[in-house]
Amino acid sequence: MPSLKDIKTQINSVGSTKKITSAMKMVAASKLRRSQEKAEAARPYSSRLEEMLSSLASSAASGEGIIKLLTGTGNDQNYIVVPVSADRGLCGGFNSSINRETFKLVKSLEGNGKKVQLMPVGKKSRDFFNRVMKNQIIESFVDLNVSSTGYESALNISNKLQELYFESKFDKCILVFNKFKSAISQEVTQQQLIPLDVSNSEKEEEKENSSNAIYDYEPDEETILKDLLPKNVSIQIFKVLLESDAGEQGARMAAMDNATRNAGEMIDSLTLKYNRTRQAFITKELIEIISGAESI
Amino acid sequence: MATISFDLVSPENLIFNDDVGTIIVPGKDGDLGVLPGHSQVMSSLRPGRVMVYSEDKNLVKSFFVSGGFAEINPEKCIVLAESVVELNSLDKSSIEKEIEELGSKESKESEEQLSIAKAKLEAITVSFYDKI
Repeated sequence: MPSLKDIKTQINSVGSTKKITSAMKMVAASKLRRSQEKAEAARPYSSRLEEMLSSLASSAASGEGIIKLLTGTGNDQNYIVVPVSADRGLCGGFNSSINRETFKLVKSLEGNGKKVQLMPVGKKSRDFFNRVMKNQIIESFVDLNVSSTGYESALNISNKLQELYFESKFDKCILVFNKFKSAISQEVTQQQLIPLDVSNSEKEEEKENSSNAIYDYEPDEETILKDLLPKNVSIQIFKVLLESDAGEQGARMAAMDNATRNAGEMIDSLTLKYNRTRQAFITKELIEIISGAESI
Repeated sequence: MATISFDLVSPENLIFNDDVGTIIVPGKDGDLGVLPGHSQVMSSLRPGRVMVYSEDKNLVKSFFVSGGFAEINPEKCIVLAESVVELNSLDKSSIEKEIEELGSKESKESEEQLSIAKAKLEAITVSFYDKI
């Protein structure tokens, strides 16, 4: 049976853990608001770029050079998978679900005889894949800090990807990231980045074509498309980074909320145990005194 | 007189969104003056000035953009730009310094930055003479 002092120290240590987790929860909550605002602010640009692109996409049949970002290389042997995780832990299943999903994806692609390379973003996925598939990592990006550095960080990733693409190092690029659904739920999502997947924007295109007349292009469609496509890659990455950042804060908030609640419950049960033990001691002492008095 | 709705958007946020009279946009092949009822045009932009005028032809705001796209239809003009700075906040001497620094480096990236910085300087000089 633990002594009173032991239980007291245990209560104190759980109490200080509770303080830490509840502080982290509040920090995450305020960060979440900020990242959500950022993600919100970036939405007009990406949605308008998408609109532009979908009205242009139909005009590009096939071609060389930059147009390949849209039409693909014609092969699908070599894949590059980009898992987007957080740099820090203590956010529930946020990182592990990304890693698990990516791992599954890589295995299933390899099972189909494809060659897969990895380009992890964020410390947690880098460390994970450094352990399990070290020789498949070609580059990793950590300490991005999207909420403070902004668009620049996305540009770095997108430049690297495009450089590799035009050196024909890969044919398809898939992003795996946590989509921000609400403050407490994220959804692991796969998105094909290169070649551009226009199938989801095709519906919009139909709508637009029916309502809008045809545009004049200046200088001409191809030149615009050549400018637009690389930019679209960067913007897509930027959007994903922001979503993932907001998701991370949300996940951390939820995880810390749970931890705080659990710590509270633990303190309650420990206090109960403490009081019981104290009473048991008192009763024992009383019995000793009484039986001592009786024997005199 | 009619107005046209104008959006200026950067990747980070929506910078300008209002009904205005005229917008001057630096298209790749030359400046475009956009008035209400403009035909549908999609254009890529060169680094330069985006000038926003109210209905009675007063300059509302002027920005420097380092490139991007414009989508124009009779009711709406949308400019997507990578980096947007308000022209008043640009400082001539610091840009001249930047040009000097970039001029000494020789890489593709710095060349690009150099051309943007030069365009910035030009934009400032031109708007200075506009005032006179």
